[in-house]
Amino acid sequence: MLKTVGISKSFSGVPAADDVSLSLQAGERVGVIGPNGAGKSTLLGLLLGTVLPDRGQILLDGDDVTRLSPHQRVSGGIARAAQIPMTFHRLSVSDNVRVPAVHGAGLRGREAVEWVDEVLEMCGLAASAKVAAGQLGLLSRKRLELAKAIATRPKVLLLDEVAAGLTEPEIETIIHMVETLSEGRAIMWVEHIPFALRSVCERLIVMDKGRKILDGPFAHVWDDPVLQEIYMGVPDDNLS
Amino acid sequence: MTFKYANLLLIIGFGSLSVVSSLLLSSGMLFLLTEVLVIALLAQMWNLLAGYGGMVSLGQQAFVGLGGYGLYVFANHSGLPVWLWIVVVPLMVGVAALPLGMLMFKLKSAYFSVGMWVAAEILAAIVMRTDALGQSGGLVLRPGGESLAGNPERILFAGAGLLLIGTIVGLRVLLNSDLGLALLAMRDGEEAAEAAGVNVRRTNLLIFCIAAAGCAAGGALYYFSTLYIAPTDAFQINWLISMMFVSVIGGVGTLTGPLLGTAVLIAVRETCTSLGLTGGTYWIIMGTIAIATLLILPRGLWPALRSKLHVPKTEKEATIG
Repeated sequence: MLKTVGISKSFSGVPAADDVSLSLQAGERVGVIGPNGAGKSTLLGLLLGTVLPDRGQILLDGDDVTRLSPHQRVSGGIARAAQIPMTFHRLSVSDNVRVPAVHGAGLRGREAVEWVDEVLEMCGLAASAKVAAGQLGLLSRKRLELAKAIATRPKVLLLDEVAAGLTEPEIETIIHMVETLSEGRAIMWVEHIPFALRSVCERLIVMDKGRKILDGPFAHVWDDPVLQEIYMGVPDDNLS
Repeated sequence: MTFKYANLLLIIGFGSLSVVSSLLLSSGMLFLLTEVLVIALLAQMWNLLAGYGGMVSLGQQAFVGLGGYGLYVFANHSGLPVWLWIVVVPLMVGVAALPLGMLMFKLKSAYFSVGMWVAAEILAAIVMRTDALGQSGGLVLRPGGESLAGNPERILFAGAGLLLIGTIVGLRVLLNSDLGLALLAMRDGEEAAEAAGVNVRRTNLLIFCIAAAGCAAGGALYYFSTLYIAPTDAFQINWLISMMFVSVIGGVGTLTGPLLGTAVLIAVRETCTSLGLTGGTYWIIMGTIAIATLLILPRGLWPALRSKLHVPKTEKEATIG
């Protein structure tokens, strides 16, 4: 469904993505880990179109989307929930969700209203629908960021550290949300919290210095000595 | 439904008010009030562009000048009625703004602001050196080569009144539409809006063209009432200062603010004139008022007044924080 062929991107000579080829099947849930600066966020940026590659190709359902702008890719079925929630702070929570429902999913009239209500319900935001997004706490803003991504009705959902900065019980609620939201979609989840990835993802990709190091079934990659080496000196049980 | 009734009430109320007063007031008063309405209209356009769209243009006077000159050139050299051109010229300016916008959007924030200013200066310089446009001497309005019969100020005033109220209702409808939602989202974060599927560039261009057409309509109306146009006047930065002063004093990002601001601007200006204060002194007073207002009420008069009077915010109305 989503495929990259040898994409590379350097920022002033430092490679952030180095010849990355990967493919994502419909409904597949993939975790991405790697040390800070491994190029994980850049990879998501390349897939969404906020970062354009120096080389390589990105295909969505076989169509070349390498040069398309983010809003075109959103219409094509790619959505991202950002690490720092990018909510529209002066708009109400329900208007925040309405923007992607109308402009991303292309819904109109009743259909749009119903879909917004459904997303708010799914994401546990129905009670705060009329509140300005700027007044929400961190967990609610993270929920809203997920709701905005889902409201575009994506085929591929990119999650950029959506659980970072939360307490353990809060992470549990995010995991639960991601599980609900991933019904029938492909998910690529970048996160530093292994237990979150482990409970959702069946496949794991390991990045380091802009390169894809490992890619395979979660448990298999997890036990790979190369992974231990990348996180050198950090014992396995501290990670999980 | 109440929203639609409110719009209808606005149109009928202010529309009939402007028509009735056009029949009752003296010619000099009508000239002044037409200018007031034009400034309020221009301010709404700058407010749409900068307050809602976040595009702080310092070159909107270019479109005022283009509207005025467009009216003179087409009315003077064609047999078609001048009233037709007052409608067509703003549309033409709106379309002409598209390539300029595409060029200017390559510049970001402050560079865009200054770029627009430079574009306006270049345009004024070109007009000043063009024979067909009367160079720095300007043009006289002679529709179809004939002097204008009678004084048009009554119809112009009523027309300006209707245009202003039409603009305000139009902006209300726009801000409550899907396009308006995109605009308000972009104001809070362009990258986030783009990631939500909003075509940010297209929305910006559209708003830029609408604001250009609106400023041109103001220019066409104003210079119709003066019957004479000169580049140093039509492209002067005072147009921009009026738009900004009025929007910022009244409350950027609100529809009522610029109207309130216009009242302040004209009240101060006319008081200064009647006291014999001109030129430098007048600008010192205006500057002092602007700075004082923004120090005491950083968001402008209307947002402060609104919370004092407990007027509820209309849903899509918001201020720059």
